[in-house]
Amino acid sequence: MLELTGVVAGYGGGAVLQGVDLVCDEGTITCVVGPNGAGKSTVLRVVSGLLTPSEGTVMMGDIQLSGQSAAAILRAGVTQVPQSQALFPHMSVRENVLMGGFLIRRDKKLLMSRLEQVQQLVPLVADRAAQHGGNLSGGQRRMVEIARCLMLDPKVLLLDEPSLGLDPRSLAAVAELINRLHGDGVTVLLVEQNVRLGLGLATHGVVMEGGKVRLTGSATEVMNHPEIATLYLGGTSATTKAADAVPHDSAGAPSQ
Amino acid sequence: MTELLQAVILGLLIGGVYALMASGLTLVFGVMNIINVAQGAFLIFVAMVTWWLWKHTGIDPILASVITTPMMFGLGWVLYRTVIVRIRGSSPSMSVLLTFGLALTIEGVLNLTAGNKFKSATPSYFEESFRVGSIALPKAQVYGFVAAILVLGALYVVLTRTWTGRAIRASAQNPSGAALVGVGATSTAALAFALGASTSGVGGSILSVLYPFFPASHYDWISRLLGIIVLGGMGSLPGALVGALVLGLAETLTATYGSLRWATLVFYVVILAVLLFRPQGLFGTRLREDAVA
Ligand SMILES: Nc1ncnc2c1ncn2[C@@H]1O[C@H](COP(=O)(O)OP(=O)(O)O)[C@@H](O)[C@H]1O
Ligand SMILES: [Mg+2]
Repeated sequence: MLELTGVVAGYGGGAVLQGVDLVCDEGTITCVVGPNGAGKSTVLRVVSGLLTPSEGTVMMGDIQLSGQSAAAILRAGVTQVPQSQALFPHMSVRENVLMGGFLIRRDKKLLMSRLEQVQQLVPLVADRAAQHGGNLSGGQRRMVEIARCLMLDPKVLLLDEPSLGLDPRSLAAVAELINRLHGDGVTVLLVEQNVRLGLGLATHGVVMEGGKVRLTGSATEVMNHPEIATLYLGGTSATTKAADAVPHDSAGAPSQ
Repeated sequence: MTELLQAVILGLLIGGVYALMASGLTLVFGVMNIINVAQGAFLIFVAMVTWWLWKHTGIDPILASVITTPMMFGLGWVLYRTVIVRIRGSSPSMSVLLTFGLALTIEGVLNLTAGNKFKSATPSYFEESFRVGSIALPKAQVYGFVAAILVLGALYVVLTRTWTGRAIRASAQNPSGAALVGVGATSTAALAFALGASTSGVGGSILSVLYPFFPASHYDWISRLLGIIVLGGMGSLPGALVGALVLGLAETLTATYGSLRWATLVFYVVILAVLLFRPQGLFGTRLREDAVA
């Protein structure tokens, strides 16, 4: 469904991604884990077209995504929830979600039926319709961000650290939503710092480090791989501290 | 009492016109961090075109805005696509340099073609007033105010009820979020710049009746407009409205109870006082440094 081959990309000062190969089969949930700065978010940005790779290709089936504009990639059915601050703070929740259908704005009927569907899936959108995006809690914001991405009825959904800053209840709601989308056949590519949560949700796992893919496999394989613990020793200060403080075998689950 | 009422009403009438003129400036800043110091020159250019149309065709100068507004929309769009787009992503100070150059160019062209003399469009109602009880309201001020409010209302509707407006607001509030939903940055910026320029269409036509002008008048006007949007909060439309009303009131009240000469000074004192306590202006929000993911 989604295939990255030899992707090299960066932000102007040297390559952040140094030849990334990655395959997501249709209808799977693939979770990318790895220490901070490994290039996980960069992978998602390359797929969604916010960043153009200098080498390599991104394919979705027979369609080449790399080199296309972000809008063209959206049209092809790939939507992204970024790591932070995706909403328009001074727009209402309803308007924020409607903006997700910007590319189908001329088809009013389709737009409204999509809104209807999204409201069914994420009731918050109707319940808080008039509230401003900037006044939502972290969990509500995440739900609205995901809801906005669903307006285009995506084939591939890219989620960058959906658990970031969420309390356990919001976390469960987000996880449930991802599961439902998975049930509907959406292919999900997910980045998670919360390794246990991410791999727990996923069907497949990918470990990245230093701009390269280190390990791939089924989610359980990756979760139980001995190397994943060692990889996490080189993570963020927070992860390092957690890893320092706890015995080796629990280092795979640095909680946020 | 009548004197005070008269001054307040006049201040509000003038403030409405200022609000329209400042709206384009603050819109363009809010959407793309461009401080268009050529906005004053746009106004004078339009005033000159309006004056010329009035002189040669007899069209009412304020009504001439049905011609000057689309003209400025088109001109703004072309200017963005050819000139302004080149400094996309640069700091606002770069835009000041570029648009200042633009302002000087317009001033120079006007000097060459129209001459360096004061002009003013004087339609038949120029010296007439409406009388409401003991209050006299100059007709030109009233018509200008009505036109300004109509256009501000239209701008509000465009920004809140159309997809173009949503795209513009989305780009202003969160550029990367806008890109994520497929809003094209360049085309949206071009539309916003064109809309901003088009407000100087109506604004300039009104100006041609209310104030005598000559090519270098744009310095006066841009400093007023900048004062308004700094007071209101850079990039905030409600802020521009309030800032404009404050300027209008400051002018008429000082002119009534003191002397017209002090009017501008009073306004700047108000700005200074406000900025001491709210550096971001009345309605401004501090730039979110954390917005970059
Ligand atoms: N906008 C940017 N400009 C420059 N460098 C960036 C930018 N975003 C990320 N980087 C750099 O790219 C590397 C990988 O970042 P990222 O993909 O965000 O990592 P991850 O999501 O795995 O934590 C980091 O070294 C980071 O400093
Ligand atoms: Mg990241």
